Amino acid sequence: MEQVALEAATHDVSLWALFMQAGFIVKAVMIGLMFASVWTWAIVIDKYINFAKAKRQFDQFEQVFWSGQSLEELYRTLADRQNVGMAAIFVSAMREWKKSFERGARSPIGLQMRIDRAMDVTLAREAEGFEARLGSLATIGSAGPFIGLFGTVIGIMTSFQAIAGSKSTNLAVVAPGIAEALLATAIGLVAAIPAVIAYNKFMGDAGKLSARMEGFADEFSGILSRQIDEKLQPRQQAAQ
Amino acid sequence: MKTSLGTSFALHSAALAFALVSIGAPAPMEVAPVEALPVDIVPVESITQIQEGDKKAPKAEKSAPTPTKKPTNVPDAQNTGDNSVDLKSAPVPVEKPVKTESAMAPPKVEKPMPETAKENNEVKDVVKEETAPKPVETASLPPPKPEVQQPTPKPPEPTPAPTEAKTEDAPLPDSVPLPAARPKPEPPKEQAKPVEKPPEKPVEKKPETKTAEKTPEKKPAEKKQETAKTTKAGDSKFNPDDIENFLNKQDAPSSGAKSSTQTASLGGKKTTGGQSLSMSEMDALRGQIQNNWSTFAGIEGLQGMIITVTFNLDEGGNIVGSPKVSSTGGSDTARRTMEASARRAVLKSQPFQGLPADKYDTWSEVVVNFDPSEFAL
Repeated sequence: MEQVALEAATHDVSLWALFMQAGFIVKAVMIGLMFASVWTWAIVIDKYINFAKAKRQFDQFEQVFWSGQSLEELYRTLADRQNVGMAAIFVSAMREWKKSFERGARSPIGLQMRIDRAMDVTLAREAEGFEARLGSLATIGSAGPFIGLFGTVIGIMTSFQAIAGSKSTNLAVVAPGIAEALLATAIGLVAAIPAVIAYNKFMGDAGKLSARMEGFADEFSGILSRQIDEKLQPRQQAAQ
Repeated sequence: MKTSLGTSFALHSAALAFALVSIGAPAPMEVAPVEALPVDIVPVESITQIQEGDKKAPKAEKSAPTPTKKPTNVPDAQNTGDNSVDLKSAPVPVEKPVKTESAMAPPKVEKPMPETAKENNEVKDVVKEETAPKPVETASLPPPKPEVQQPTPKPPEPTPAPTEAKTEDAPLPDSVPLPAARPKPEPPKEQAKPVEKPPEKPVEKKPETKTAEKTPEKKPAEKKQETAKTTKAGDSKFNPDDIENFLNKQDAPSSGAKSSTQTASLGGKKTTGGQSLSMSEMDALRGQIQNNWSTFAGIEGLQGMIITVTFNLDEGGNIVGSPKVSSTGGSDTARRTMEASARRAVLKSQPFQGLPADKYDTWSEVVVNFDPSEFAL
């Protein structure tokens, strides 16, 4: 009897065999954690590409913006494109400016406030785009080990029930169940560790990009307010 | 996002495939198969108590009696030995058969001496001569010798009548062995007496050889005979061929019919069944002595006194010999008093009742410690 049990216990200890031996709950946990890991890495790749692209665009836009080119010309070239980040803020501010002047704005203070608000909205939208899906990274990073641990506990419970059933405390009987249970925790950690690292890194990157956009928005707001003063003063003088 | 999701999925499948192929099946640890060891729980008593064995044999891990030569025939034999009947003690007294054997062995030595000398490689020629004179010697000493020679001349007398001779020949050979048989038993009777005194052997032989020398009157042969004498003397002292005669061919006195295949090792006569006296049996013994132990309360100097009484019991529970009393501690006078009282108590309480007969080995010698310090002031 004991030899039969030994053979059954030692015949296959590969990862696939461990997965197939696992119970329903442990299997579900492991599959869920595998999807979480896939999702984590998808987000990581996506964010990496997006942030790199955003950073490049910011650099290009700043270079063009401070090159002394006319804002009107820059607006005309950018208006038709789908803009991201700083360019989007610039375009939204310029659009508001254009609309106000085309309809003949009376109050320079009201115009300034409208431009600031338009830029804030765009900035918030852009920042939200940067931080999108980073929350799920945080969730996976914090909950992954717990989910894996849950699978482990269930698996060990099952294997101990099996020990009680077989009435044999031979290590060869106990070991596969524990190994299969520990596989769940391993997958949980595999999913959670990159998630935590990526979350911290991309949160920092998103904060930096947002700060850069805010800085640009403030600067552009200052430029526009000067322009408003310069353009509205002759009209007021002419009116008087 | 879709592209990155696809990329991630592809990466994961690749990693999984790699993991399944490379680290899929770890090399199984090569552990020597552990055989289940049968563990018996043995009470300490079976080790500490007397085991069946040989009292004279050296100590061994497991005590065993002297090995018997044949397997047991008696199914329920209790005592080890070669007997077909299971007896408790050896039936044959050890000393007597030894004496008979020592008496038996010497005649064999002396009579076959010439015969064995024939077989000796060293002096074959001389030995033949010796055998010839030997009968002469024996003949010279005892009378039967002429009887031997007489039949030999007799045959020529009847030769003239062949038909009669045949009839006479028939009685003649009968008569020949008869005298031959006579002298043989006779000399041993005479020689057996001196044999009982072993130091005299060589002294007697020397005169014999001297007479032998005189009768043949062959001086050159003397030297050879001397060598023969030396061989003879040597044989009388030690002859490897005669060892068998000295060997005790009788089986060792063993009593039981139980077979023992192990080599003999230290142990008791019989296994006591791994039992010591149980607490109730010890209590019974103690109680019997205690009832008869009258102590005198109020004696000074009993502090720390221990009186040890050692005595042997026979199987009926009676004391064999006188109990030995020794004591330690306390004052001299008190010790003397208490020793006497302890001895009286032990002697008074015999015969001891309630001791199991099958554990006689354990209670054949009893040591009782008296502690009168309870009664100390």
